Amino acid sequence: MTALLETRGVWQRFGGLVANSDVSISVGRGEIVGLIGPNGAGKSTLFNLIAGVLPPTQGSIIFDGQDVTNLPAAERCQRGVARTFQVVKSFETMTVIDNVIVGALVRNTGMREARRKAHEVLEFTGLAARADVLASDLVPAEKRRLEVARALATEPKLLLLDEVLTGLTPTEAQTGVALVRKVRDTGITVLMVEHVMEIVMPLVDRAIVLDLGKVLVEGKPADVVRDPKVISAYLGDRHAVGA
Amino acid sequence: MDKSFTERRRRELLVAACLTVAAALVPLFVKNPNVQNIMILTLMFGALSQSWNILSGYCGQISLGHALYFGLGAYTTTLLFTKFGVPPWFGMLAGGAISALIALALGYPCFRLGGHYFAIATIVIAEIGLLLIQNWEWAGAALGIEMPVRGDSWLKFQFARSKLPYFYFALALACVAWFVTWWLEDSKWGYWWRAVKDNPDAAQSLGVVVFDSKMGAAAVSAFLVAVGGSFYAMYVSYIDPGSVMGFQFSLLMALPAVLGGIGTLWGPLLGAAILIPLTELTRSYIGGSGRGVDLIVYGTLIVVIALARPEGLIGLFSRRKGASR
Amino acid sequence: MTAETIIQSLASGLLMGLLYGLIAVGLALIFGLMDVVNFAHGEFLMLAMYVTFFLFTFFAIDPLLSAPLAAAALFVLGAVVYLVIVRFAMRAKANVGMVQIFATFGLAIVMRGLAQLFFTADYRSVPNSWLGGKTVSVAGIFLPQPQLFGALVAIAAFGGLYLFINRTDFGRALEATREDPGAVALVGIDKNRVFALGWGLGAALVGLAGAIMASFFYIYPDVGASFALIAYVTVALGGFGSVFGAFAGGIVVGLVEATTALVLPPSLKSVGIYAVYLLVVFIRPRGLFGSM
Repeated sequence: MTALLETRGVWQRFGGLVANSDVSISVGRGEIVGLIGPNGAGKSTLFNLIAGVLPPTQGSIIFDGQDVTNLPAAERCQRGVARTFQVVKSFETMTVIDNVIVGALVRNTGMREARRKAHEVLEFTGLAARADVLASDLVPAEKRRLEVARALATEPKLLLLDEVLTGLTPTEAQTGVALVRKVRDTGITVLMVEHVMEIVMPLVDRAIVLDLGKVLVEGKPADVVRDPKVISAYLGDRHAVGA
Repeated sequence: MDKSFTERRRRELLVAACLTVAAALVPLFVKNPNVQNIMILTLMFGALSQSWNILSGYCGQISLGHALYFGLGAYTTTLLFTKFGVPPWFGMLAGGAISALIALALGYPCFRLGGHYFAIATIVIAEIGLLLIQNWEWAGAALGIEMPVRGDSWLKFQFARSKLPYFYFALALACVAWFVTWWLEDSKWGYWWRAVKDNPDAAQSLGVVVFDSKMGAAAVSAFLVAVGGSFYAMYVSYIDPGSVMGFQFSLLMALPAVLGGIGTLWGPLLGAAILIPLTELTRSYIGGSGRGVDLIVYGTLIVVIALARPEGLIGLFSRRKGASR
Repeated sequence: MTAETIIQSLASGLLMGLLYGLIAVGLALIFGLMDVVNFAHGEFLMLAMYVTFFLFTFFAIDPLLSAPLAAAALFVLGAVVYLVIVRFAMRAKANVGMVQIFATFGLAIVMRGLAQLFFTADYRSVPNSWLGGKTVSVAGIFLPQPQLFGALVAIAAFGGLYLFINRTDFGRALEATREDPGAVALVGIDKNRVFALGWGLGAALVGLAGAIMASFFYIYPDVGASFALIAYVTVALGGFGSVFGAFAGGIVVGLVEATTALVLPPSLKSVGIYAVYLLVVFIRPRGLFGSM
């Protein structure tokens, strides 16, 4: 089976700074993959390259068997890549349902169908009761959920989650974890960036650890957390170790 | 869940229909030509502001140069009529088409600019248009150009004896601008525009083509404003560059939407209904002597509304307010 | 067209450009401080010109001497406008940008109305001032003295402003506030006080410009409008918020205007400025010196 997403020898330089050097990862269909690493490891940069915010300096990105390296974000979304933002970017002056409709319009040309799809997604993500509330009036945890709902409305093959679980209370995080599982059960592949290992390890099928812009280790979560290289990379980062 | 939305949309149409009928009946009872003039101007500015609102309110691209499209509409119609005898009806469509095309051509480089750089670019482009027309002898240069009087006729849209045809045309214009907004509000474009205004990055990640959204809004907005300009030219039958293309006019067009509620369906009409009569009344009652009192009243009003009701006067009517949690 | 004519107009263009820079720098300062574009900036200039005119007419104070007085008067005006209007405009929860534009635009209309009411719509001028109408010849080039003086004042003002921002406590507070208004509150700087003083300073600078303009330009209630537009373009050209950008932008605008006047009829001289603005922002979307 071919991978859904592959990065091949991806480099990203910002001036003299190398954020990603020769990163080659692959994500298989139906997997939940965690992309982790200490601060400044280049996770966010890689995430943005995959989402299409900017093209890599070098290397290529293959999605669903096609080279998407130079496609802008909007086009990648049309092909089935959806994302959330670490710092939530809701459409603040729009209601929750309208936020989700924007996403639903990618696959539904008719307004009626888009609206129906949006309601479906709100049901799925547990936001149905808040449909007519302005996005600016949501509490932070709900805003995170709205990010996911909006992305799901685009009916993606690959869902990119950028630290959706960080900063939530334990209960909220539990709900979040359950939601991600539910998403995967519908057949959507998930790639999630998290800074804090203990949150994601129980959830993911496979973990990829980035450090200093390179892939450090990848493998089963249980093996990754015991890897001495990972431990030393995280050493001194008191929030992270201790899974 | 879907029902309340459909109901709201229906109710909006119903309210609009009732208001239209009511407005249509008013001139049958109000015969005073000065009052009729104020009503015509109110409807025209309502329509203009509604059109401006599509680009600047819904899509969030603040244009302070829409006088360019108004002037283009006015001049295209007037020139086609006076120089080639083309009926204004056709000139109106031609003006709209030319304006939409120019908006697209200008949008191509301008929509890469952010915030104030974009706003200043719109001012500057309109100002270039103004200077070019002021120096264009064939088009009457700075003195302007007059529509020759050819007697009352629907084909030539000239009526010396009655203001009623102008009134109904202005009413139709306001209805069209409102209806286009209403229709677009619940379309892919409407959602795209609001998404682009609120957060272009997020919009892009959801498959919204930001550039195309802005271009679409600019074209629709420019077309409608140009039709308004054509109407104005026919109505006053004399235009000069300063009065139809000046910077002041760009702000006057934006003002009703800002005061009524920018990016809302009813805001521009509400703003115009309050602002235009007030402007005209202060001008005729206290401004006649050129003493500036009308400006003081008018300016103070703008400051006070802007500070006291930043979301626009429509906020006073909003039922959703406070019911959000 | 001889080489002499070209040099002559470039020289006057340069002088005028420095003055444009002085008119615009207050706008740039305020924008840099708090992201607000003052749409009454032209009316500030107009008022400064009237102040100069009345000081000359009633007290026979030459514009040379009344410039500091005009600057002081405008300082007060600027601070008051901030405290009474802009402070509240910035608190708006919706459409902050539009509220700021139209609150200051409304103020501009009020000021124009007041000028018409109290000063009438007549065109005024300051006749027989010390420098008015006099020229000085440098290497065969004639330079009008008021503009020359204005250019020198502009250079001095920019130098002073530079020292002020970099060498004084208040200047540093200004810098700090523009970088992070939240953080300065923590170290005990009153944001409102800094903003009010910033507005005062910005207005004082345009007051200085107005006093100089009064000695060679007609004074009437709408005089601000045309200069305001040039000031916006100057500031945007240089890059919003950059004080040095306003200085450089002013010089560019002055030179471009003079060059355009050489090749196009005088009524089209502004077209050159506008075209150059568009050209610059299409290539550099944040102006010449704006941070990218």
